[in-house]
Amino acid sequence: MQGPHPAAPRAGDPSDPARRRWLRALGLAPVAVAAAAPPTRAAAVKTNAHIVIAGSGLGGIAVAHRLGHLLDGARITIVDRKEEHNYQPGYTLVATGVWPVDKVRDRNAELQPAGVEWVKDAVAAFDPAANTVVTSGGQRIRYDFLVVATGLHLDYAQIEGMDVAAIGRDGLASVYASPQAAEATWAAMQTYAAKGGNALMTLPATPLKCAGAPLKMTFMLRDRLRQAGTLDKSKVQFQSALGNVFGIKAINDNVLERWKALGIEVETTQKLVAVDIGARRATFASPEGDKQQLPYDFLHVVPPMRAIDAVKNSDLAWKEGPFAAGGWLEVDKSTLQHRRFPNVFGIGDINGTPRGKTAATVKKSAPIVAHNLAEAVAGRKPDAAFDGYTSCPLIVREGSAMLIEFDYDGKLQPSLPGLDPMQDSYFAWLMKYRLLKPAYLAVLKGRV
Amino acid sequence: MYEIWLVLNILWELALGAAPWLIVALAVWLALMVVASRRPGVGWRSGLAGTVLVAVVVAIAAFLLVPGLTRSSLGELRYWVDWVNLFGVALGFAVLAAAFAWPLFAMRRR
Repeated sequence: MQGPHPAAPRAGDPSDPARRRWLRALGLAPVAVAAAAPPTRAAAVKTNAHIVIAGSGLGGIAVAHRLGHLLDGARITIVDRKEEHNYQPGYTLVATGVWPVDKVRDRNAELQPAGVEWVKDAVAAFDPAANTVVTSGGQRIRYDFLVVATGLHLDYAQIEGMDVAAIGRDGLASVYASPQAAEATWAAMQTYAAKGGNALMTLPATPLKCAGAPLKMTFMLRDRLRQAGTLDKSKVQFQSALGNVFGIKAINDNVLERWKALGIEVETTQKLVAVDIGARRATFASPEGDKQQLPYDFLHVVPPMRAIDAVKNSDLAWKEGPFAAGGWLEVDKSTLQHRRFPNVFGIGDINGTPRGKTAATVKKSAPIVAHNLAEAVAGRKPDAAFDGYTSCPLIVREGSAMLIEFDYDGKLQPSLPGLDPMQDSYFAWLMKYRLLKPAYLAVLKGRV
Repeated sequence: MYEIWLVLNILWELALGAAPWLIVALAVWLALMVVASRRPGVGWRSGLAGTVLVAVVVAIAAFLLVPGLTRSSLGELRYWVDWVNLFGVALGFAVLAAAFAWPLFAMRRR
């Protein structure tokens, strides 16, 4: 979750409204309209329903755009206090010195669909029995249908001694917290790579957004050491709280094989529980409760993740099963409709579904959520099914990546025939480096 | 079909990001075409040889330079998908170069 960080649109930013006006003035609007038109569009459902979307990340805005096409007459309200929209898939590029930080910062106001009301306040509570969302400012907003797109909570507080404000200092790094943290992580990585030393890379046991990010950071750190010529003075160790480093066996085995060849050591079932930032010592605990303290010159912290308090503490959360502990949203993994409150749908990181907390998940699930919600508005049964598709361009060094795509069952699902998910390639790197942000913007606008 | 739609959208978003440059380039190209088409005796056919030569040079240059410009290297091209994509990118630059070169060569070969 990001705090408000107003940022002016950048030069070259396609979302720049001034540029859009200029394009229209130059007569390019017909081209824009043609490019913006979805390939097929069903007849809109006439309704006066009030739809509240909690959250204005990729999922919330993409669904808002799509509902605008699917529903005729609906009132759509987005609730979120964020002024800044962050392109989170780019954080690993910022944190490893590939991208400048401004490439992941946009203004939310320029991305909201026309005709949508924006309540600039945080969601503090959900009362699904009363069909009401309560904001932190005390406003009670009633809805007919609700889309929960709040994202998740980075639970750094579970790590004793951890201070997000210290990221970038004393070898402390963490790519997840914010664009500023990603930028500070790069500063810490540069300092470390210049001298070498002992690096500890961590992985918690909770569901993760972009589960490939800890692996990318590890691959890139090792590559930066190689580039700096300090590999022989360094040791990179990956401390996983799980029994593996990635949930898909084929990918896990492939990564472990690569790391073995690169000299990256792996220790499993070691959970980061405390850090002494000044003394540069991290404490890890095993499931049996045994603790070990390790010194470090560079520590990459991946925080445990859970649902935001407003969901976790509400009736919308799973009450039993594997997603109950994190308080994740109880949705049907196929229709993404809430299992107990049929007028509630979920999208993105907040969903209590197996795997898939990435932008690629939203790309494939936003059309399904919007369609199923429109069906529910029309009084019909949601009939579109999500297979859990997600993808991860797993960077293996600067200039090369693997394009991994899979579903709920962990089955690899390459988009194009002939693509080898285990093959490190320039194409996958180019996707990550240059093509995925434009794809993200197209998803955001509800076009793909 | 979806993948084609996705690629078109990616290209559209990339174009939006480079809109000022593309508009200037389009204006220059249109001006070249107007000037060339109004000049008497312009040798469109005889200008083709030079145009093709420029396109080939640009394609080779793009092929060699694009990986480096995208923080990678030719050494990272590991399998056929990489080669096909880089070839496509190089072809795109070649077509663009040819579009500008053709009216210029055509005017020279009157």
